[in-house]
Formats: sequence, C-alpha cells, structure tokens
Amino acid sequence: MAIIAAIGRAARTKASGLLYGLGFFYNVLKETGRFFRRKQVGYKVLIMQILFTGYEALAINAVMAIAIGAAINVIGSSLLPQFGQSQLMYSILIVVITRELGPLLTAFVITARSGTAIATQLGTMVVNHEIEAYIAVGLNPISYLVVPRFIGVVVSMLVLTVYFNIFGLLGSFIVVQAVNPTPIGEYLGALMSTLTLADVFSGLTKALVFGVIVSVVSTFQGFAVNRASTEIPVAGIKAVGSSFILIILADVLVTLVQYA
Amino acid sequence: MPEKPSDPARPAIELRDVRASSGGYEILDGACAAFPEGLCSVVMGPAGSGKSTLLKVAAGLVVPDSGSVLYRGAELARFGRRDEAAFRAATGFVFQDGALWADQNILTNVTMPLRVHKAWLGPSAMAELARETLGALGYDEGMAFRPAELSAGEQKLVSIARAVIHEPQLVFMDDPTANLDEDAAERVYALIAKLRERRRTVVIVANSSELAYRFADRLGIIKGGRLVAFGSYEETVGTAEAALSGSIARLKARGERAAAPERERRGVREPDAGAENSQAGDV
Repeated sequence: MAIIAAIGRAARTKASGLLYGLGFFYNVLKETGRFFRRKQVGYKVLIMQILFTGYEALAINAVMAIAIGAAINVIGSSLLPQFGQSQLMYSILIVVITRELGPLLTAFVITARSGTAIATQLGTMVVNHEIEAYIAVGLNPISYLVVPRFIGVVVSMLVLTVYFNIFGLLGSFIVVQAVNPTPIGEYLGALMSTLTLADVFSGLTKALVFGVIVSVVSTFQGFAVNRASTEIPVAGIKAVGSSFILIILADVLVTLVQYA
Repeated sequence: MPEKPSDPARPAIELRDVRASSGGYEILDGACAAFPEGLCSVVMGPAGSGKSTLLKVAAGLVVPDSGSVLYRGAELARFGRRDEAAFRAATGFVFQDGALWADQNILTNVTMPLRVHKAWLGPSAMAELARETLGALGYDEGMAFRPAELSAGEQKLVSIARAVIHEPQLVFMDDPTANLDEDAAERVYALIAKLRERRRTVVIVANSSELAYRFADRLGIIKGGRLVAFGSYEETVGTAEAALSGSIARLKARGERAAAPERERRGVREPDAGAENSQAGDV
C-alpha cells in the first residue's frame, strides 16, 4: 500500500508540475504579446540576450556547420557512386543540413551555452531575492526577465539556423573543391535547383519550436530554484536535460507532421 | 483600489489570519495585524520567528497559504494589473540583505523605481535624485560600481535609497540598520524620522530595540509565526510579558520615552485601542 501511495503522490506532483509549467508558458506568451506594445525597460535585456545567444555563438556554429557539411560530402561522395546515385548528393546535403542538422545542432549549442546560463542566472537571482526586488519596484519578472530572454533565444535560434545552413553548404563546397573542383556558380546553381520552400520552412519551423523549448524550459528551471544556492547547478542540469529530451521529441513530431 | 489615504485610524495594511509556509515548514501561523496609516509600526521578535516573511506577505511579495492581506481595505490578492502598479508606485521595500541587482550598476539599481513609476523624469534628473538620496544616507562611492564591489553596509544604504527615491506613501523595512556602522545607522534614523514627519506609513521589522524605542507608534512582538502582542508602544511595553521577548525587557529598562509630544505635534490621531486590538486579533 505504501508503494501505491508513493506512486500516487509522485504522479500528483508530476501532474501539478506539468500544469504549473503550462501556466508559466501561457503567461510567457501573454506577456510577449504585450512586450512591444508598451515602453519597456526590458529592451536592454533583449539586446543583451541576442548578443549572448546569437552573436557570441556565431563562431562555434560556423565551425560546426563547416565540419558537418564537409563530413556529409566526404561520406556521400564515397558511398553514393557505389549505387550510381551521385546526383543525390545535393538533395542529401539540403535535406540533412537544412531540415535536420541545422536546427537540431544549433538548438543543442544554444541549450548548452544559453540554456544553462539562463537557468543558473535566474536561479541565482531567486536565491539573492533579486526577483522579489523586481516585484517590489513594480516590474513583472515574466515581462522583464523572461520575455526578453524568450524573444532573444527564439530570434537567435532562427538566425543561427540560417547561418548554420549557409556555412554547412559552404563547408561542403570546400570539400567539393578538393575532390572534384567545381565552379561556385555551378555548385550554387545545383543547390538552389534542389532547394525547395518546404525545406526552408521545415528548418525554420523546427528552429522556432526548439527556440521556444530552450527558452521556456531554462527560465522555468531558473525560477524553480527555491532557497539554497546548491539548487542553482541542479537547475542548470535540469534545463539542459529537459531541453534535450523535448527538442528530440519535438523534432520527431515536426518531421512526422511534415512527411505525413 | 481605494484612492488617497489619510485617515490615520484606518489601517494602511491589514493582515487577517495569515498563514504562510516555505519548503514544507510553517512560518506564519495565523498572524493578524493592522498597520495604521501615517504611523510607524515596528515588529520585533527573535531570529526565525517569521518577521521577514510577515513583512513580505504584507508587501505582497509572498503569497500566503491562507488568510488575507488588505491595502486600504482592498484585498491584495484581487488586485488587477493597474491596482498592482498603483500599489507598487505607492510602496517601497528595504530588503534585509539588500537584494540589489548584481548585473546593474548602482545608478540603475537606485533609479529603477523612477524608471518604472516616474518615467517622465529625464535620465539626468533621475541621476541627480539618486545622488541626493544616496548622499543623504552617507553613500560616497561611485555610481558606476556594481553591488559586488561594495561592502554589505554600502549595499544596504543603496537598498534603502532604492526603496524611498520615488517618495512612496508606504515603506517596508526589513532590519534597516543591519550591517551599518553607527554613523550610517544615525543617518538611517534621520531618514525614518523624516518619513514620519511627512506622515508616511512605515512598517519595520527589526532585531534592534533601538528602532522600536525611537520610532514605534505601534509595536508588535512576533513569536513562532504569531503576533503575540500588537498595540501602541506604551501598551505593548507595559502589558506584554517581558518573558515573551528579551527586547521588551530591554525597552522596559530604558523607561518612558519623550515621543508622545512629537506625535501630538504631528497631529496624528491615536486610533481607539479597543478597535485596534480587535483588528490585531491575537493580541
């Protein structure tokens, strides 16, 4: 009986946590709608978030994209001719980079860099009573602290995904030059003739969903810190773990919807 | 929300049977108190008795598990967005540990209430006000520093300046002289005296009996999450059992104070003691 009671308690805690999380998400969306309609002291937070999440991640994203693009090309150019399907190289590049790896790897980078930073920063603010201080001066923490981070992460996610795609295809071009020198015009022409609007839309949809997940999960975990400073690193770990799981689930879901 | 104050007999903030807990521990256990408009109320009690939580509940920073908190007769829990904004514009809060924003410099920390509630003031006017307010408290460090670069006492002064810079009607202070040297504490006493002169409602929770002796128009004693005594200074000191609090014993030892004439000069009408006791519930 004790085990059943414990399971019941755990299920109830999980259910109430989920409801609380959904309520938090609803509040974030509601305040986001209001953010640009009024004069905000939160613009500075938004700009800083875009700088940190977007601008400062450009280098790591570029290196990763070039390496992945090159790797796909190396694998593809050695495997595809064996099946007489060399012409599929461009389709594979577009599908793998634009639809899948671009948004997914960018989301992982943002989770690792910004997700942990957001959760630990907000957790520290909770422990130091800084959140209460914002409420005391009349600033809504959701509006002032969460919404700028939410918008900043989503915008950065979209921009970085496009950036990843460009550098991923550029990395591929570098390998093409080493293996089979091709004029850039010809290479780009072949890519553009393969690229469809659906590819772009699919990648950007995933980027948008992943950006929402990373920002909402990280801010939620930051605010979940209660009193002790030892809870702060735990919040960071939970933000990363939950974001990764939700991103992968969302990736599968969006892919299923697009291919169904 | 009710408009403009000024009936001193009416409580600015009233707590009715408030219970609050944190991490599964009960902190407030049916606390009742009525902090009158335009007067200075001081609540004392031992460490861990629930003073800070009482103040945060009264200021709407902690949502109680049950019971109600009323601001000029209107329940805080029912406030809409506009009421909430008006309440925050009319109040200031001094945190026990300063609670300054670590990623903002001192100027931004102090001027934030002005940027929120008096945005029509330009940046230079806000900076000037910040310098004046901090100067009156004896803060003589730069405005571009981050809180981490200041001592605990200086952080406290900045926190006090942030709470009063927008001239609120109601000021909550959590141990305002903690971490301060004697000179700085005297300047804080001068600030509280000024707030009283201007008939601001001041609610202080403190460990120091000095604050109660100097400023308490109303004195409360909190123990185990309950206000075991709450009334006029003389009433509480005279009737509360010294055993309830060492602070009461110390205040008794200091004898009568010459504060009554000052209150008369300020024209503050004393609320009916019986009525107040009924508001204070568990006195």
